[in-house]
Amino acid sequence: MLDNVISTLENCRFCLMCRHVAPVGMVTNQEAYTPHGMALLVTSQQRGLATWNAETVGIVFSEVDGGNSRTHCATDQPFEEALAAVRAELVVQGLAGTAVTQLHTHLTQWHNPYQPQLPQSATGAGQVALFAGDEAAYLWPETIPAVLKLLSAVGMEVVVGGYGRNNGLFAHSAGFPDLAAQLWQATLDELASVGAKQLLLLSAGDFYAFNDRRGGFSRPVSASAKVSPPDFIEVTDLLAERLAAGEIAFRKTEDETPWTYVDPTHAVRVPERHERVRGLVTAVMPTPPRELFWRKERAQPVGSTYIQFSSPALAERLTRARLQDAQASGAQLLICEDPATLHHLNRYAGEYGLRVQGLYELLAQRVIGHQ
Amino acid sequence: MTTLQHEMIRSELEEVVGKEYISTRESDRLVYATDWFWLPQMWLDRGAQPTLPDFIVHPGTAVEIAEILKIANTYRIPVVPWGGGSGSQGGAAPVFGGIMLDVKRLNRILEIDETSLTVTAEAGINGSVLEWALNEKGLTLPHYAASANCATLGGYLAPRGSGTISTKYGKAEDMVLNMQIVLPTGEIIRTPIVPDHAGGPDYFHLFLGSEGTFGVITEATMQVDYLPAARLLRAVLFQNLGHALGAGRQLMTRRLSPFVIRLYDPASTATQVKKVLGYEMDGAYMVMGFDGDPDIAALQEQKSLEICLALGGQDLGREPGEKWWDHRYHFYYPPNGLHFPWMYGTTETVTTFDKLEKLYWAQKRAVEETYADWNVNYIGHFSHWFHWGASLYSRFIIPEPPQEAEEAIRLHNRIWNTAITAVLENGGMINEHHGVGLKLSRFMRRQYGPAWPMLERIKKTLDPNGIMNPGKVGF
Ligand SMILES: Cc1cc2nc3c(=O)[nH]c(=O)nc-3n(C[C@H](O)[C@H](O)[C@H](O)COP(=O)(O)OP(=O)(O)OC[C@H]3O[C@@H](n4cnc5c(N)ncnc54)[C@H](O)[C@@H]3O)c2cc1C
Repeated sequence: MLDNVISTLENCRFCLMCRHVAPVGMVTNQEAYTPHGMALLVTSQQRGLATWNAETVGIVFSEVDGGNSRTHCATDQPFEEALAAVRAELVVQGLAGTAVTQLHTHLTQWHNPYQPQLPQSATGAGQVALFAGDEAAYLWPETIPAVLKLLSAVGMEVVVGGYGRNNGLFAHSAGFPDLAAQLWQATLDELASVGAKQLLLLSAGDFYAFNDRRGGFSRPVSASAKVSPPDFIEVTDLLAERLAAGEIAFRKTEDETPWTYVDPTHAVRVPERHERVRGLVTAVMPTPPRELFWRKERAQPVGSTYIQFSSPALAERLTRARLQDAQASGAQLLICEDPATLHHLNRYAGEYGLRVQGLYELLAQRVIGHQ
Repeated sequence: MTTLQHEMIRSELEEVVGKEYISTRESDRLVYATDWFWLPQMWLDRGAQPTLPDFIVHPGTAVEIAEILKIANTYRIPVVPWGGGSGSQGGAAPVFGGIMLDVKRLNRILEIDETSLTVTAEAGINGSVLEWALNEKGLTLPHYAASANCATLGGYLAPRGSGTISTKYGKAEDMVLNMQIVLPTGEIIRTPIVPDHAGGPDYFHLFLGSEGTFGVITEATMQVDYLPAARLLRAVLFQNLGHALGAGRQLMTRRLSPFVIRLYDPASTATQVKKVLGYEMDGAYMVMGFDGDPDIAALQEQKSLEICLALGGQDLGREPGEKWWDHRYHFYYPPNGLHFPWMYGTTETVTTFDKLEKLYWAQKRAVEETYADWNVNYIGHFSHWFHWGASLYSRFIIPEPPQEAEEAIRLHNRIWNTAITAVLENGGMINEHHGVGLKLSRFMRRQYGPAWPMLERIKKTLDPNGIMNPGKVGF
């Protein structure tokens, strides 16, 4: 099963060149939590030098998903695919551990890892749908009404779909490629049933899951798909375009609190977004931002990936590292649009004297309207 | 080590750094078992177990390091400083087990002085992270090591590294003003504030090149520079390597200030340059670069080009030079870099201009002729240039080495003997920038001759119990 990825692992084993951006390696300063360390562990296991046990398997499930390393890879090694394949192999062998198995059970039953609740089906019909997902539904519910208000301000009525359903990334990262493909496909099928040709996405993670992973997580899109994959666009991109075209405007706030924009988890995977989203934030904020050190192309995730289930302590350290970065920048207000990033930052922000603000809500409060 | 000793040491270490900063996990011990030295890597590759460290400790302060060293003295166990583990000489390999001292938690920038243009940082800071922080202020640490993404500041200094632009800005050791060091016996010292003074003997440089055998570097103040307003790169092709070396010599002796001269020998032009940059050329490919004020850089470039053309060089223009700059590190990474199952070694050296070409041919001939049966490839480039000479970055590669690990070790060591003998007999140093580590340890006595016992006495005074990185740098 690992045949397809072994050459990647052999290459990563001999390379340390993404250490400066490997999230867990950076917060722990431990070699094992880097792509190099993991690749060395897996290739050593294959050579009979290491055994799979709770400790070694735990290491393999403790890297986020290889996204930062892949983005910065000096030689474009598909480490994230290799890592997912190794995890999938451990799952098949029944070695993945309780936390990962529980995640699988929950995702299979409820299509999300957060609540024992099934997704709500889309109602109505329309050309454009908004993928609400599970993170907005369960972690930062203020997002959806704010986004609907903003879309209405630009004259768009959309069908809300996938409310409460995971985009498939968790399942993919945790080593369940079939489940990932099913979740991904379910959203596409839902879109087809409402006649949507365009899917609006709330976060960089959703955009990556749907746009960059068009293959449906290593599995071809099922023959039963009734639509060809639609256009995917992030809501922030759409709003930035409309702002530039003068179709929407915002009143600036009077709040002069020093602020920063936090690039959300997975932002490094979508480099085109960095400036566009900043353009939106500066449209409402009256003062220039305090930029974080770990921003834009070197943005780091908070603990919002599946690692929050497999290694909650590491997830917390990732989040706290972002808050420390924000604190060092002198900012007191953290702005972001990603529901999951907001949720995780908000858990500990008070301890650092920081306040967290959803970008969509802020924009919705300040929108002047359809021009 | 008995289980009782192990547990006693562990509990004492825990008292110093806390439980979460010590690991004895199988995975960690394996990952910290080797740095970039071919030999232990090969051992692993063949499915054999290298020597593992007993403890991996992540101290957070110099004081904690001092306490750890005291424990190591009590139990007489080795301590191996580990920065990024990217060294190619086995310097961070735990050949006798003991404590692996990973310094990466010491990663704070303490001060950026924009008046004196210095940065003071803890030694475990990652090279690229430090560079990003300086870039935010329009500054740069001009030590551009190809391993910056993984190496640490302490790891730049301990083996006396050289970066891509050392030809103008110097080696890492030329950039350091002062350091905080924890001595093997646990005292924390700070060297004088500046290196250039007449306030007594210069013990400061003793720690540069000691590769963790004389103590642990915990902080350093480094000279930094403004990011240059312009960087001009140009490539020239020579049919004659000697003429190319002559051109490089003139650029340096006439002080035209190139920030880089990278001269590939015909063998690496035909292989490396072709593989990474896609150029098919016969001859010696040379890249030169000039930076700083655009007018001055342009003039330096023009004068340098005149020298090259007068010596038969063919101007290839800017594009091949710029392409080289953009891909300069790709030569070292997979899949372009060295990899298994090859046997390889970077036999780099440095000498004065009068000996440089002779040394190159002597080493090339010795390696190629002695190991012809193994289809050895010998390639080289000249990369770090000085007013008086340059370094030869040479490599041997055996694409199909012996399968049996023990036989492979013997062949590997024989090739090194041949390569280093050629260096020493032709007036070179055993190394220019990777350091000595374990790999070259056995050549130190030959290199230093009657001066070696003096170095041994210094080591004995600083580290009476021999706990610091045993087996390295000849100690
Ligand atoms: C792909 C690649 C490219 C490279 N390119 C270059 C290059 O361009 N220029 C160059 O000079 N080298 C280069 N190297 C070699 C290596 O990266 C450098 O020597 C680097 O500076 C080592 O830093 P490190 O932090 O990884 O040190 P390590 O490998 O961890 O340690 C190196 C030695 O220094 C000692 N040491 C480390 N930290 C300390 C400390 N704080 N106090 C005391 N002793 C310490 C260790 O015990 C060991 O002996 C390259 C290596 C690789 C793998």
